[in-house]
Amino acid sequence: MVPVTYYLTLSALMFTLGIVGVVIRRNAIVVFMCIELMLNAVNLSFVALSRLVGNLDGQIAVFFVMVVAAAEAAVGLAIIISLFRSAKSVETSDANQLNG
Amino acid sequence: MTALFFLVALVLLISAVGVVASRNAIHSALFLVGNLMSVAVMFAMLNAHFLAVVQVIVYAGAIMVLVLFVLMLLNIKLENQPALGKLVIGLAGLGGLAFLWMMVPLLQRSFAAIPQSAVDVQGSVREVGKLLYTQYVFPFEAASLLIMAAVVGAVMLAKRRYRA
Amino acid sequence: MEIVILLIKVFVVFNVIMGLASICTWVERKGSALIQDRIGANRAGAFVETDVFLLKPVAFVVRWLGILGVINTLLCDAVKAIFKEDFVPEGTSQFMHCLAPFMAVLPVFVSFAILPLAPDFEVMGYHIRPQLATIDAGVLFLLAMGSIAVYGVALAGWTGNNKFSLLGGLRASAQMISYELAMGLSIVSVIVMYGTLDLFEMVKAQSSVWGIFQSPTAWLSFIILFIVGMAETKRGPFDLPESESELVAGYFTEYSGMKFLVFWLGEFAEIALFSAIIVLLFFGGWNIPFVQLPEGAWWAALIGHLVLMTKIMFFCILQIVIRWTLPRFRYDQLMNLGWKILLPIAMVNLMIVAALKVF
Repeated sequence: MVPVTYYLTLSALMFTLGIVGVVIRRNAIVVFMCIELMLNAVNLSFVALSRLVGNLDGQIAVFFVMVVAAAEAAVGLAIIISLFRSAKSVETSDANQLNG
Repeated sequence: MTALFFLVALVLLISAVGVVASRNAIHSALFLVGNLMSVAVMFAMLNAHFLAVVQVIVYAGAIMVLVLFVLMLLNIKLENQPALGKLVIGLAGLGGLAFLWMMVPLLQRSFAAIPQSAVDVQGSVREVGKLLYTQYVFPFEAASLLIMAAVVGAVMLAKRRYRA
Repeated sequence: MEIVILLIKVFVVFNVIMGLASICTWVERKGSALIQDRIGANRAGAFVETDVFLLKPVAFVVRWLGILGVINTLLCDAVKAIFKEDFVPEGTSQFMHCLAPFMAVLPVFVSFAILPLAPDFEVMGYHIRPQLATIDAGVLFLLAMGSIAVYGVALAGWTGNNKFSLLGGLRASAQMISYELAMGLSIVSVIVMYGTLDLFEMVKAQSSVWGIFQSPTAWLSFIILFIVGMAETKRGPFDLPESESELVAGYFTEYSGMKFLVFWLGEFAEIALFSAIIVLLFFGGWNIPFVQLPEGAWWAALIGHLVLMTKIMFFCILQIVIRWTLPRFRYDQLMNLGWKILLPIAMVNLMIVAALKVF
């Protein structure tokens, strides 16, 4: 049986990588993917803690995080496409105009 | 079991680094697929079988396919601006380390105090489904509304606008 | 002993996949010839003669296999593919280019692991359940694997590094994710009908009445699943991703030799997979109508297995005949069929099945 702390440490590392990615990457789609990375880190710790506590509520929370992530993907990618249409690029630094 | 855990953890961390570090956005996306699959394996190891399958269907099968699709459609390969300076990357790394350092006491103290539950929860489809349709039925319905709104929003945003 | 049983199961499942895929290849080649009023492959091995008396029966068999085209389609094609130049286009990652065929085939092969291939039986004191992996999520696992199958195709289109490949890859992934929704909903309606996720239990539930007659709308789920199956294999009237008159060969334009053969094999394995799913869900699996086989006997399991394979072959041949009969859809027709016809029908069907189950 792997101790729950291992899973939590792994989740912390993954979350940190996600944060660093959001900070250093400038492609909007990659930034979006780093956010997914962070969401997954949180999901992992939810499931690990659900086992630690001994009930299923944590897993239900993960289910709803997935729902939100799916909705976020649909809207986020639509925003990125419309950004590409107006700025001809998906770099976050090119999206610097208020009118499009 | 522990050996399997460390193997999967290694794959997970390497692919997470790959997402952040690769210059090519499509490589990033493929690394993220690897990462999500190894998270699914982790879920299965934690007895969350239903979530493992849903992770593959929703993340690997829907979200990442959509991302890849957009990447290929826009056909952007490399970031066309010069790479960030070493200083900025170093600072970001330092920030990450600071964040980790902040987590360490949290991991050590807070969770070590909670005893491991004697009940080995089984996240089977039946159990999760039962909970989802009884205790959490209202959030479940709200989630369906959220998805509906997201669908409408996505169509409105991505539709070509005809200027009057 | 457990390990030995597992290894035997792996061996059997692998052989079932390869056998079904190669029979499909042969039926496709000779059957298309039959439909188009040609003769088809009939040369390789057809003129084998020998003067040695003992080898005469061997030569006779080889001659007939040659005339029927078996040697041509199974042996010669494979040897030819192995010895062809392995071409990698310039400007792509070689690793990704090699990864794509495996990503396309892997989900199909893994899906076979959860299909029950015969009734359970006992031999030498061991109770054997002829299913490689028994997992809790059951049929949902098939959906998960089906959704991963998109990657191989998308990757192949991208690593081809030309416009036709990319267009083929985009068309294929758009088609697959559009039809997956209808597939998911029709499989969910089947799950509601049987009240279980386990394929083994589903087949057991059909021992007296086939699944397609168990509910007044089961035939609707069957038709949706059959159409979706043809769309997911990217064949039949749905072969836009590889339409040779527009896109050379679509997403696998740049593949040659063994890698092309892997795609080809995966395509036929997928036909067999969808036929197997349809047979297991709707057409009674290994059950024979009006005949009750004794439970637990090894010979009954063998007969059951043969019955199952016969049914699967029937649906494979049906798919191949449809592929060679119907012309290709237009792209908007394809999308309309998926989103505006199949998806609403699948939803209404799910509601009807659920309502019948409750009331």
